[in-house]
Amino acid sequence: MSTLTPLLPLPAAPQFPVSSGAAIVSSLLGPGVLNSFALVALSFSGAIGLTFLMLGCALEDYGVYWPLFVLIFHAISPIPHFIAKRATYDSDATSSACRELAYFFTTGIVVSAFGFPVILARVSVIKWGACGLVLAGNAVIFLTIQGFFLVFGRGDDFSWEQW
Amino acid sequence: MSGFLEGLRCSECIDWGEKRNTIASIAAGVLFFTGWWIIIDAAVIYPTMEEFNHSYHACGVIATIAFLMINAVSNGQVRGDSYSEGCLGQTAFLSASHSARIWLFIGFMLAFGSLIASMWILFGGYVAKEKAIVYPGIAVFFQNAFIFFGGLVFKFGRTEDLWQ
Repeated sequence: MSTLTPLLPLPAAPQFPVSSGAAIVSSLLGPGVLNSFALVALSFSGAIGLTFLMLGCALEDYGVYWPLFVLIFHAISPIPHFIAKRATYDSDATSSACRELAYFFTTGIVVSAFGFPVILARVSVIKWGACGLVLAGNAVIFLTIQGFFLVFGRGDDFSWEQW
Repeated sequence: MSGFLEGLRCSECIDWGEKRNTIASIAAGVLFFTGWWIIIDAAVIYPTMEEFNHSYHACGVIATIAFLMINAVSNGQVRGDSYSEGCLGQTAFLSASHSARIWLFIGFMLAFGSLIASMWILFGGYVAKEKAIVYPGIAVFFQNAFIFFGGLVFKFGRTEDLWQ
């Protein structure tokens, strides 16, 4: 390796373990670009999800704002994960009962966020079209939150170097 | 329990390594909370006491208490792996593993009892009386069935082996 000298002065290799495609992109464009791109994509999908939610409430046919309460479920869904992360900071690695309990409660919060609009529609507080829009918005927002954890949750060691 | 599972010739699909615990926790969460949302649905649609006697909620509450009791003790405590002292003083009138077994026994009795009670509610309270609206009885039954199976999945679907 030491006998080969690169023709172009390439910047330093990225510090995070990603696929080779991402490594190529970040080595060409600079170290922080991939995380910025991911942030923009996640904020776009978050805006789309919130748009679906607001459409389900604010359209002329619907006009009922009760579904906005699912925002509470969205806000508290990352909390069990952070509590478990804080409680077992000595990194028990594979099987941690606290981490599994956090997954259990997070799943419960997600199920509740999907069940709440369905129940509202079954008692005809909102129409089924509004319910469908709210469920679509839920799905997109939860995928966004999961995307945040996948991209930015790899650890506190090198997350600040990407900025 | 793991020997039973391997006998099903599905040891590749059950033993996914460290993902197994995650999947079991998520499946148990889906089951448990779906059960509760089913009964919330029935309670919201039928608010009167003639259609849905709201004292039937007690069945689901006992099932939830049983879920918590069953999952509060780990399998290691029941086997007697830990060094912790038992109940009632240091002379260990009841050792830790005995206390864990009694706790688990009571928890499973409550779980089975609430499942049987939900079936009784469905058949005795709705089917036998030939009520026009049967959905609340079905909802109580499915709530307790989901909570029961969620508890089973959470208890037995996870392994405590740190080395896989």
